[in-house]
Amino acid sequence: MLPESSINTDLISKCEPLMDEIFARCHANSPNFGVRSDCFKDSLRKTAQKYLASALPDQPNLEELQNFLSQVLADDLFLAVGCANGSELAWWEFDQQHRSYLERVARHLAKTEIDAQDVIDTVYVELYGTRVVDGERVSKFATYSGRGSLRGWLRTVIWHSLVDLHRTSHDEVSLDEMTETVGEGSAHAAFAESPRGGESEMLEHISKERYRKATLYGLEKAFANLDDHEKLLLLYYHVDNLKLREIARLVENESSPLRDWLQRKSATREKEPASRVHESTIMRWLEKCYAKVLQNFRSELQTGHKLKSEEIDICLSLATEDLAGASLYRNLMTT
Amino acid sequence: MENKRTIDSQDAQIKRLLDSFLPVRSSVNGSELSGDTHLDEDSLAAFVEGNLNQRQSQPLVKHLTNCSFCRHITAELIKLDYVFAQVEETRSLNYANETEPTKASEVLSGLLSRIFGDSASAVFAHNEAETGEEKDSAKPEPPEENQK
Repeated sequence: MLPESSINTDLISKCEPLMDEIFARCHANSPNFGVRSDCFKDSLRKTAQKYLASALPDQPNLEELQNFLSQVLADDLFLAVGCANGSELAWWEFDQQHRSYLERVARHLAKTEIDAQDVIDTVYVELYGTRVVDGERVSKFATYSGRGSLRGWLRTVIWHSLVDLHRTSHDEVSLDEMTETVGEGSAHAAFAESPRGGESEMLEHISKERYRKATLYGLEKAFANLDDHEKLLLLYYHVDNLKLREIARLVENESSPLRDWLQRKSATREKEPASRVHESTIMRWLEKCYAKVLQNFRSELQTGHKLKSEEIDICLSLATEDLAGASLYRNLMTT
Repeated sequence: MENKRTIDSQDAQIKRLLDSFLPVRSSVNGSELSGDTHLDEDSLAAFVEGNLNQRQSQPLVKHLTNCSFCRHITAELIKLDYVFAQVEETRSLNYANETEPTKASEVLSGLLSRIFGDSASAVFAHNEAETGEEKDSAKPEPPEENQK
């Protein structure tokens, strides 16, 4: 999905000595995988193209490229290249190192033992590769870049495989329908109810409607004006129901970009960049986002809808009253 | 003071509003990607492990805010990673508890045998299998230091 652009080839060729060094190290660790230098270096180049080119138009400099290559999990990549090439010894090593993990993940995710076994078999077939392009077998391993760990990648492959398995057994069911419980049906009716009674009720209904629409507009704008990492944090917490401790785990790696973004002005970070991120820290980050949403919300309604401060308070109160049914937003957003 | 309390209560209101607004917004707009494809497994895994720097992850984060499909996968992977980390932690704790006494007894055994000679190690359970003959024939060697 990352943008297709490329890094200057001269720059990459300046990294040849480093790539040779990485290859030599991996080869010394696993001399029997039959991985050729050109093949391995080609994978390193592809990895660099994939992740560094996405940051274009700013071309990375030599130092950045060298740092990047040094951070590649070279032994994992070496094993993957060996397996992709069909080396029996590489496969044996992969099986020894990762099979039990792969099975544990599949059993944890799948509902039944049969599903788990199905997925394990499917993943193995995919990893080996049954598709032939231009006379060559295409192994799934060829898509592994070494940027993350081989285990992390395997976990994702298993997850995808389970989704595919579920889809084939539940035709026409989208992932969203499959994984998220979206309250449909009766909830729709709540907000659209017709006004009853006389003229004053009608007027009250119309003004309430106006405030509700303004609220939705304000919320949408306030959210849209957040930075992407702030949006993601809120979505993880409110939509995907990640717990604070799970989000803390996501940013545990001290070089995590999310952690960098959210913690960039923290005094703690300056003193101890590797300090652990606690649940309370995540809560503080969330609170900062709420404050920013509130600020954006008020300013959007003041400028966009020309509402006075008291009217904005009415919007907030009305919306809070309507919280009993999420139908308010669904109804307004789909009309 | 009063003003601060109002702001706090409005923050709480916004939190509750987002709690109902975001899931609906996500289900209405979430998977609508104009000509964009989903993230591949390699990018998803690298992101979840926090192995990408800001520049490399910027396009991914942008994608995740617009694509509930990919975001949901990352959320599931994060949950899975957390569960497995807990299991590993428990395992290593159990392992440490199981191995600790053995290690301690080995250390003590080694220490005592250096002080009193090998026969003293017979008090430890792991040496019970030794035969009577072996015990009788085992002659304590003086510690190296004493030989000098």
